[in-house]
Amino acid sequence: MIIDDKKPKICVNADTWFAYNGEDNLLIALEKQNIDVHFHCREGFCGACRTKLIKGNVNYVIDPLAFIDDDEVLVCCCVPTGDIELKTY
Amino acid sequence: MKYTTFNQQPVDTMKESMFFGMPVNVARYDQQRHPIFEKLIEKQISFFWRPEEVDVSKDRVDFLKLTEAEKHIFTSNLKYQTLLDSIQGRSPNIAFLPIISIPELETWVETWSFFETIHSRSYTHILRNLFSDPSEVFDDIVLNTEIQKRATDISKYYDDLIFHTQLYQTHGIGTHLVDGKTYNVNIRLLKEKLFLCMNSVNALEAVRFYVSFACTFAFAERELMEGNSKIIRLIARDENIHLSSTQHILNLWAKGKDDPEMAEIAKEKEGEAKEIFLLAVEQEKQWANYLFRDGSMLGLNEEILCQYVEYIANQRMSAIGLGKPFEVSSNPLPWMNNYLVSDNVQVAPQETEISSYLVGQIDSEVDSEDFQEFEL
Repeated sequence: MIIDDKKPKICVNADTWFAYNGEDNLLIALEKQNIDVHFHCREGFCGACRTKLIKGNVNYVIDPLAFIDDDEVLVCCCVPTGDIELKTY
Repeated sequence: MKYTTFNQQPVDTMKESMFFGMPVNVARYDQQRHPIFEKLIEKQISFFWRPEEVDVSKDRVDFLKLTEAEKHIFTSNLKYQTLLDSIQGRSPNIAFLPIISIPELETWVETWSFFETIHSRSYTHILRNLFSDPSEVFDDIVLNTEIQKRATDISKYYDDLIFHTQLYQTHGIGTHLVDGKTYNVNIRLLKEKLFLCMNSVNALEAVRFYVSFACTFAFAERELMEGNSKIIRLIARDENIHLSSTQHILNLWAKGKDDPEMAEIAKEKEGEAKEIFLLAVEQEKQWANYLFRDGSMLGLNEEILCQYVEYIANQRMSAIGLGKPFEVSSNPLPWMNNYLVSDNVQVAPQETEISSYLVGQIDSEVDSEDFQEFEL
């Protein structure tokens, strides 16, 4: 798969790579790739979409209220700031 | 230590732990030891709703069409939910407020309990509409053995913590004789009781509601009892925030970000915390069995419901570091998510209820062509 160099690359579970389209939140981006992520509220307060962030950084569009560990992100309310690597639970 | 409603000693709440520090005096939120609770309060308040906003009148017609087995499922679930919210409407206040030592958590607990009382009021709203005399349903909550079993396990941790806190706040640390029984009271023991209680509350908010939720939404999937489903969606959304708060408390303790003694206790009592959770899961499964004793309902059976409980339990237990004890990895009831998405929950009439409200709506799209007939 050819990946556009300008767009951030998202790696999931060490085996799937795709280019981030610059607009979706991470949950929608993952769903568009048919990657199964748990979700409930899609607004950052239930914590169902907790995902491990192995590499890279994210920006939150909505303040996350659910508990996450230091190496975890709530994909329903954040966007990548550059290349990132995720591991779904 | 005696409880006081206004502690006259100056207290630096930035240095206090969540529980068992100095009693709170000034309800101030300009400085916060744990700002997450203030954020939860804001979110919860933004979700404010009133049961009366939801029209449940069509449900009565639907209810009469249900089979006897389905009626049993529907009313039993309402009874169980009424029990859960009866407990939750008062217990966090009574158990936690006397021992909380930071204002943001104190106000969170009050906000949390208040919303549970909205839930309780909504059950009356639903039942009044379905039965000309809902007393029979309410009275059975205290008599029904299946519900009693659950009530015992939910309230015992609260009751134990409340009783020991009362002893501590009236008689202090030491050994006390009450009604011929000796009780040992010390801070460590109180903290252990608090830890177990918080785990029991967390399990309640995490899994105990979900069998009932699934049944309600399964009816809604068949376009039955939709008013009720709309209310339960609002309740589910609130419960998700409540769960988030108990997960925060447990994790703040476990990760040593609050009271170091609580971190020790969290490690020491992890096994018991796990047992509390697993018992709640087991009781939910038994509840599914009781619900379907007269026959199952379309789109749902005991087996798939039990799998769903395990699926939810895996998520909720791993969120507080208790691992994933069950095999299930994918969601056995994917349509449940449609009802749990926060965005889909709307109550205002212009948004959903009355379609005529939308019919006469003003067309807000203005094109340059619309001005063709204008002359200046």
